Amino acid sequence: MVKSKDVLLEIEDLQIQGYSDEQWIDIIKGVDLTLHRGEVLGLIGESGAGKSTIGAAAMGYARDGTRISGGSIEFDGMELTTATEEEKRSLRGNRIAYVAQSAAASFNPAHKIIDQHTEAPLHYRLKKRLEAQEDAMELYEKLRLPNPEEIGFRYPHQVSGGQLQRAMTAMAMSCRPDLIIFDEPTTALDVTTQIEVLAAIRDIVDEYNTAAIYITHDLAVVAQMADTIKVLLKGEEVEEASTKEMLDNPQEDYTKSLWAVRSFKRPQKERPKNDVPLISVRNVDASYTGGEKVLDDVSFDVYEGMTVAVVGESGSGKSTTARVITGLLPPSKGEVLFKGEPFPPDYRNRSKDQLRQCQMIYQMADTALNPKVQISEIIGRPAAFYQGLRGSELKSRVDELLDLIELEPSKYYNRYPPELSGGQKQRIGIARALAADPTFIICDEVTSALDQLVAEGILRLLDRLQKELNLAYMFITHDLATVRSIADEVVVMQHGQVVEQGPKEEMFKPPHHPYTDLLLSSVPEMDPDWLTTLLEERGVDNVGEAASSDIDPDAGKVQGTKI
Amino acid sequence: MSLFVIAYYTLLLIASCLAAYFNQRSAFLLVFGLTLISFIVGIVGGPGALAVIAIVAGILALAAMVSYAFREFMIAIASHDMAKELRTAPLTAAFGMFIIFTYAVAGIFAPWIAPHGEAEVIASAFAPADDNMLLGADQLGRDIFSRLMYGTRNSVGLALAATLLAFIIGALAGLLAATKGGWFDQFMGRFADVIMSIPSLIFALLMLSIFGPHIHVIIIAVAVIYAPRVFRLTRAVAGNVVVMDYIEAAKLRGEGNWYLIRREILPNSTAPLVAEFGLEFCFVFLLVAGLSFLGLGIQPPTADWGSMVRENATLISFGDITPLIPAAAIALLTVSVNFVVDWMLHRSSGLKEK
Repeated sequence: MVKSKDVLLEIEDLQIQGYSDEQWIDIIKGVDLTLHRGEVLGLIGESGAGKSTIGAAAMGYARDGTRISGGSIEFDGMELTTATEEEKRSLRGNRIAYVAQSAAASFNPAHKIIDQHTEAPLHYRLKKRLEAQEDAMELYEKLRLPNPEEIGFRYPHQVSGGQLQRAMTAMAMSCRPDLIIFDEPTTALDVTTQIEVLAAIRDIVDEYNTAAIYITHDLAVVAQMADTIKVLLKGEEVEEASTKEMLDNPQEDYTKSLWAVRSFKRPQKERPKNDVPLISVRNVDASYTGGEKVLDDVSFDVYEGMTVAVVGESGSGKSTTARVITGLLPPSKGEVLFKGEPFPPDYRNRSKDQLRQCQMIYQMADTALNPKVQISEIIGRPAAFYQGLRGSELKSRVDELLDLIELEPSKYYNRYPPELSGGQKQRIGIARALAADPTFIICDEVTSALDQLVAEGILRLLDRLQKELNLAYMFITHDLATVRSIADEVVVMQHGQVVEQGPKEEMFKPPHHPYTDLLLSSVPEMDPDWLTTLLEERGVDNVGEAASSDIDPDAGKVQGTKI
Repeated sequence: MSLFVIAYYTLLLIASCLAAYFNQRSAFLLVFGLTLISFIVGIVGGPGALAVIAIVAGILALAAMVSYAFREFMIAIASHDMAKELRTAPLTAAFGMFIIFTYAVAGIFAPWIAPHGEAEVIASAFAPADDNMLLGADQLGRDIFSRLMYGTRNSVGLALAATLLAFIIGALAGLLAATKGGWFDQFMGRFADVIMSIPSLIFALLMLSIFGPHIHVIIIAVAVIYAPRVFRLTRAVAGNVVVMDYIEAAKLRGEGNWYLIRREILPNSTAPLVAEFGLEFCFVFLLVAGLSFLGLGIQPPTADWGSMVRENATLISFGDITPLIPAAAIALLTVSVNFVVDWMLHRSSGLKEK
C-alpha cells in the first residue's frame, strides 16, 4: 500500500507529570513520535509505561491529576500544547477520534447507539440527522455488523461486546477523522471475537486512509495492525522500527524479553495409573435460579498434582463449573466427587476440612482482596482459621507464605492491597489460597488482567508451587497461549457443554472438533501476515461470533476418543 | 466625611490594589467588588450602613481566622495519617469542627461554666441582662446563660444518644440483611417500610403520650423512627460490598456472618455511614427540639433549648431577642455539623476539587 508522506502528528520531547503524594512526578520523560497520514503506529509496553497517557496527549488532553509539562504536540500544523480548550475541542471527535478499551463502559446505556453515533456529525454541522444515520448504517455494513439497518436502533446492552466495540469504531469514523486513537480495543474480548474486530478495524482504517495510534500490550495483535511499532518502558522510548524489522530483529534487551514471553512451556505430565481422581465432576447440570441450563452434562476428572485447563469463550460455562465445584452453585443434576467421596453440593454443608481442600484464585485481584485489611491478616486468616495458629506461630507461617510467593515478608507484612501492583496483588491472592494448605486450587483467569511479563512470572510461580506442594490446578482461561504453557490436560467448553477433552499435546494436533479448531485458529500469531492469511483461508464471514454460532456442540463430538 | 469612612475606603482600596498586584484574581474580585458595592451602599445608607458591612466582614474574617488556626492546630497535634486527611478539610469544615468542639466543652463542663444552677431562681421574671446575668432571666427569673449551658448537655446529649441507638439498630439490621439476603432481607425491608410510612412526629407524639415523656422513651422512640433510614443506607452500601470476590472467598473459607460483617463488610462501608451519622444527628436534634417545644420532650425544670424557646416565646412580641438565642444555638450546631458532613460526603464519594 502506498502511503502519502505528509506528517500528520509530530510529538517532540513530550513530558507529562502526574500528581501523587503532594508532588509532581514525571510519567512521560521525553518521547518523540511522528505519524504520517494513513499510517498505523503501534504503541506497546506494560501497564504504567505511559501508552494511554501518550494516546490522550495526542489529542492535547491530559487526564485529571496529570499535566503536560514540556515538549510540543503538533497536529496538522496546529500546536496543541498552547491551543485553547475551545480550539482543542473543535478537533476532538471531528478530526481526532478515540476508541476506548471497554465499549460497554464507554457507551451511555440510556441512549440508542445510533443517536450516540450521530452526535458528533450533528454537533459539527457536517451532516443532517438522516444523512448521518444513513452514513452510520453504511459504516455498520462496512464493519460487518449483522443487520446494519437495524442494529443502531438498539441500546448498548442489547448488543454483544464484540459488536459494541465495532459500533464504537464506526462512531469514531462518523466524522471521517484524520487520526483515530485505539486504546486497547480488543483486550477485553474473547479471541474469537477479537479477530472480527481486528479485521474490521484494519479494513476501515485502510479504506479511508486514516492514521491511527494503536495502543496494546499484546504483541501478536499489534503485529497485525501496525506499520511501525514503538516500544515504551516506564515513560521512555525503548526503540521504534517498522513492524517487520521489529519482529525479526529487535535491538534492545527489553524488547527481546517481551518477544520471548510466550516461550515458557513445561513438559506435559501423564495421569497416574490406577489412581482415584482428586476431583471428579460427574454429569453435572446447573442453572441459575429459574433460568436456562448453563451447564449441560459436564464431566471431567482432575488428578493429583496435575493441571487441567478449561477453555472456551465467555458465557461457555467455565466459571459456572468452578462455582459448582466450590459449592456456591449446587448442581441440579450430577455430583462432584473428592477422592471418590461425594462433596456436599452446597458449601454451607461442607466441613472445615473439605472447604480447606479446595481453594480459589480470582481473576480480578482488586476485588478479590479486601482493600481495608492488611496483607498479614489476609494471608494469616486462613492459617488461623483452619490450623488455629496464633501469635508468633502465625507470624512465621505468614512469613513462610510470603517467601513462597517471592515477596519479601518484612516489606509487605503491614501493607494494604491498594498499595500493591497488579502482579503483587495476584501473588497475595495465591498466598491466601496456599495458606489453607489445599490439595486443589481453581485458578479463574488469573493472568488475563495482567501484563505478559507479569503474567509469565505468575505462571512460573504456579508451576513451581505445583512441583513443591503437589497441587492440582483447574485452570480456567480463554487464552490458549496460557494453556500451551501450563496445562497437562485440556477441556474445551461451548454453550455449557464439554465439546472435547484430552491431553494437551493431542489437543493441539488435528483432527479437532470444529469449535476447538476455531479457538485454536483464532489465537493471534507473531506473523504480521497471520490475519490476512487466516481471513483468506476462512473467508471474512467465517470468523468470530458468526462462525461459533454455526457450530453445533454435538456435531462430531470427539470426546472420549482421545482419552 | 468622617474619619471612619475615609479609613474604610482607604483600607479596601489598598487591599484590592495589593490583591491585583500579587495576581490574586478571586481575592481581587471580592475586595474590589465590595468596594464598588460600598460606594452605592454608602451613598444610600450613610456611614451607619458601612459600619454594618465592616462589622459583618470583620466577623466573617474572624470566623475564617479561627477556623484556619483551629485546622492548623488539629493538623499539628494529629497523627501522620489523620493530618493528611485534615489538610483536605475546607475552612467551612474546620469552622464546623471548631463549633462542635466548643459545644462539647460547654456540655461537658456545664456545671463549672454556668454561674448559676439549672433551676435556680435568682431574679424577677424577665429581668434584663446585668453584671450577674449575661443574657437576662427567663419567665421564672432563672439565668438564661446558665440554662443555655445545661441545655447543651441535655439537648445534644439526648440527640446523640438517640442517633447512636438508631445507628446501632439500623446498621446492624442492614448489614445482616445484606449478608443473609433471602427472606430475612425481604422481611427487614418491608418492616422498615412500615415504620417509615408513619409520619415521624405523629409517631413520636403517640409513643410519648402512651408511655409518658421520660428520657428513655424519647430516646427509644426517636431511634425507632430513624433506624429504618440507616437500615436502608447500610443495606445499599453493604449490598455493593457483598458481591465482591473477597466476600466470596471468606464465605468459601467457612467464615460466619459475624466475621463477615465485622472484618470484611464494615471497614468498607464506614465512610458513607459516618457522613450519614452527621446528617441524621441534625434531623434527630431538630425532632427532639420540636418535641420539647410542643411540651412532650424533656420536662421542666430540666433546661433544654427547644422548651426554652417555647417558655420565652411571649418576649418576641416585645421585640426582645432572648427566645431566639436558644434557637440560634440549635441553628449554629446544625449548620456546623452539616459543614463537617459535607466535607466527609465529599471525601467518601471520591469527588475531586476542580
